[in-house]
Amino acid sequence: MAILRGRFNSERAAWGAGLGAVLAFILILTVAGASGVTFDHTLRTVTMGGALLGLVTGVLGSFAVLRRQSLLGDALSHAALPGVVIAFIVQGRALSALLIGAAIASLTAMAFISALTRTTKIKQDAAQGITLAAWFAFGLILLSYVQGRPDAGQAGLDKFIFGQAAALVQSDVLLIVGVGALVCLIVALFWKEFKLLTFDPEFAAANGFPVRFLDSLLSSLIVAAIVLGLQLAGVILMVGLLIAPAVAARQWTQSLGVMVLLSGAFGAFAGSTGAVLSGVDVNMPTGPLMIVAACAVVLVSVLFAPGRGIVWTVMSRRRERQAVGRPSLGGVQPVMVKRSADDGQ
Amino acid sequence: MNTKTAPTALEINDLTVSYHSKPALWDIDLSIPEGVMAAIIGPNGAGKSTLIKAVLNLIPRAAGEARFFGLSYQQARNRIGYVPQRGSVDWDFPTSVLDVVMMGLYGKLGWIKRPGKAEREKALGALSQVGLVDFAEHQIGQLSGGQQQRTFLARALVQEADLYFMDEPFAAVDAVTERAIVDILQALRTNGKTVVVVHHDLQTVTDYFDYVALLNVEMIASGTTEAAFTEDNLKRAYGGRVAFLTHQEV
Amino acid sequence: MKLKVITLLMMVCVFVSVSAAQPSEPVKIVATTTQASDLVTILLGDLVGTEVQLTALLGAGVDPHLYKPTESDIAAMGEADAIFYSGLHLEGQFDTVFNALRERGIVTYAISTPVKEQGFTFGGFTLSEELVDVDDPHFWFDPRNWELATAGTAEALSELLPQHADSISANAEAYIGDLQTLHVWAVEAMSVVPEDQRVLITSHDAFNYFGDALGWEVRGLQGLSTQDEAGVADIQAIAAYVVERNISVMFVESSVSPDAIEAVRESVTAGGGRVAIAPRHLFSDAMGAPGDFGGTYIGMLAENVSVIVMSFGYDLPAWPDGLLPEMPQELLTLE
Repeated sequence: MAILRGRFNSERAAWGAGLGAVLAFILILTVAGASGVTFDHTLRTVTMGGALLGLVTGVLGSFAVLRRQSLLGDALSHAALPGVVIAFIVQGRALSALLIGAAIASLTAMAFISALTRTTKIKQDAAQGITLAAWFAFGLILLSYVQGRPDAGQAGLDKFIFGQAAALVQSDVLLIVGVGALVCLIVALFWKEFKLLTFDPEFAAANGFPVRFLDSLLSSLIVAAIVLGLQLAGVILMVGLLIAPAVAARQWTQSLGVMVLLSGAFGAFAGSTGAVLSGVDVNMPTGPLMIVAACAVVLVSVLFAPGRGIVWTVMSRRRERQAVGRPSLGGVQPVMVKRSADDGQ
Repeated sequence: MNTKTAPTALEINDLTVSYHSKPALWDIDLSIPEGVMAAIIGPNGAGKSTLIKAVLNLIPRAAGEARFFGLSYQQARNRIGYVPQRGSVDWDFPTSVLDVVMMGLYGKLGWIKRPGKAEREKALGALSQVGLVDFAEHQIGQLSGGQQQRTFLARALVQEADLYFMDEPFAAVDAVTERAIVDILQALRTNGKTVVVVHHDLQTVTDYFDYVALLNVEMIASGTTEAAFTEDNLKRAYGGRVAFLTHQEV
Repeated sequence: MKLKVITLLMMVCVFVSVSAAQPSEPVKIVATTTQASDLVTILLGDLVGTEVQLTALLGAGVDPHLYKPTESDIAAMGEADAIFYSGLHLEGQFDTVFNALRERGIVTYAISTPVKEQGFTFGGFTLSEELVDVDDPHFWFDPRNWELATAGTAEALSELLPQHADSISANAEAYIGDLQTLHVWAVEAMSVVPEDQRVLITSHDAFNYFGDALGWEVRGLQGLSTQDEAGVADIQAIAAYVVERNISVMFVESSVSPDAIEAVRESVTAGGGRVAIAPRHLFSDAMGAPGDFGGTYIGMLAENVSVIVMSFGYDLPAWPDGLLPEMPQELLTLE
């Protein structure tokens, strides 16, 4: 019937994708183990940290992508750099201080971007680009200034640019668990509010929801996810870990809830796979490997997802052509919608 | 134009909205009585959508106020339904038709509470009113233009409001859908509800609406269709660029 | 007429003698690393601050592998008469600047030159993607290499300031004697640790020459340059080695983040083993603050030796008589 046929991208596709990610991970574990990787404490810690971080960024990244704020995620990541350096100058190299500094810097950038778009004629993307460049450049200037100080080397500040996942210790993982759990709890609590805000903010406002507050809350959660991931992926690559799992997940489902869960699963896959692969040989950087894994997932999803994937589209066009005997009228929808004579102007 | 006798559904006084220091709406006075189907018409850029959005506090206003059944917007919010323009939303969003309709009930649910069975039933009821029950589980991007419009209408209907605002509901919609929507709106009016529609098609004004407001940055004229929808007023509103053909000439 | 000519001649004489009596501008020398500026200061003695203006670019605790020259650094180098640097690509970000300065005719002298020429450098290392199969640049950790560097640098300085060649070579001779005394003391100190425990684990591969000079095995976590990122496999390998050799203590460095070493310790502990991290850091790429004991070459090397020996739980031999600077009291115990 129409209902069943209408649910073409049934959640079976999403389940399949999630299962595929798990199987792929197991396969990678096996291959890695066969090539001599030892799953000792170090690898377990980094894998766990990567997986949990990927989960959190995958969940938040779904909202960033749906709100067309992917570039904003990039801007907020880069903007964290001066915060890290200033925190070092003020407080020394304690990790919690550095991360709080990062969060403050990103939040100021966020406020600046929205002030810029509200009060001038500058568009969103230009405002984000300007802020990204300005904050990051300021961070580089501070880094150069600080490199002359005696204890700067010990802070390993420039590791925040590209990340250093391998030096993760238990306490770092616990931090990710703690903040990550809080973030996911807030998302669960405000689920319908965030859903409505993302889909139709005007309607949300008309129904009495404080749109500015919810917008700031969601953006702050995204900042929290970004700051958590800075140590692992660095400011430059962090956007990949934020966006790629969500983009991949979108291909497999038409339900927001399933998309967010699948995005978390893909993120966890990317984070843990990057960690495992970096154990294969010396000189394999963990952060970039996580991003590569995430993008591999995107590639597979864009190609093979039923209903939206490229392979699927080509095959279904061919099937339609064979069935009808003439070129299909374009479009991918196998669901026949009754159209009247003068519809679709 | 304060009518102190009959209760008005919508009362606007001195409303002014400026956009980059140019007036989008200037000193608007409008009074719409209860139980009518009213059209807001005017040329492009006249400020019709702006009027709705300003009245619903979606955009800031420079001056003026609006009362709904004599109450402020905050107080009357539960009695107002809003159907925005179709293009205001990303139809590729991963959500189903039923989900979108249920969003109409989020405001009543308040913070954190999730929609449950009761909400689902109400939503299905609204969908059957607009004839879209079969499409409940479809992703909204799979719908035609008319079906998307009907989904938005269902989302407003589910709120069981007394006053409905609709922004260009018939734009780029097929004739069958248009007829279906008009039937629903007229049914609402029969039940004593008030419907205010930003409308673009001058041809159908007399057929559908019994109250009309002609707008071109300023309020040109408003009142019942017979009284206000005149050649003179139209010329003033459209700056003389309106062609008039009588029924025999068409 | 004769009067005018005589007056003119007298004015010329006065002018010439006056200008001859002007003191000449001080010679401007720029040194990059703390080790380089320490050596130049010792060789020049009193000349620094009077006839020679010495500028040191990198301060205490600054990592020379990563340090990028600032505009003021480049300006100072551009105005200098000579630049003394460590060499062997230790100052990794300075290569293009040095080339440009050489083209302008400014004297640049790598202190490592005599060590390299006489074949005492260790080769076959990778510093970066471009610098494959190059020498380990941390040559100064072997006092014998530093003696060669002293001689070579003294010669270079004498060419710059030929009028002071005698005092420079006298300083050099005295200093080389000190370095020999230091080497003997260091070997004695480090031999106190039993042979099977003589393994030095540090954050990066800066101590190959150190180990060679003193008869110790050396393992770094991060590779030759701090630019390398320690990967998971690197940490696992070092942790496994620590357990295998039953090493009791690992060392962190003044100019490198200790995070990776901490991760190694956690890994060893999780596997049931035990290893400590030395409470004080070692000087690797940079020396201590000027004025501190660790701010001189002799002090820096001695402090490293003392931290290592005491961290393994042994005592130091007495400081050699008359060797300056003298080891201060507070460094004789680990805090």
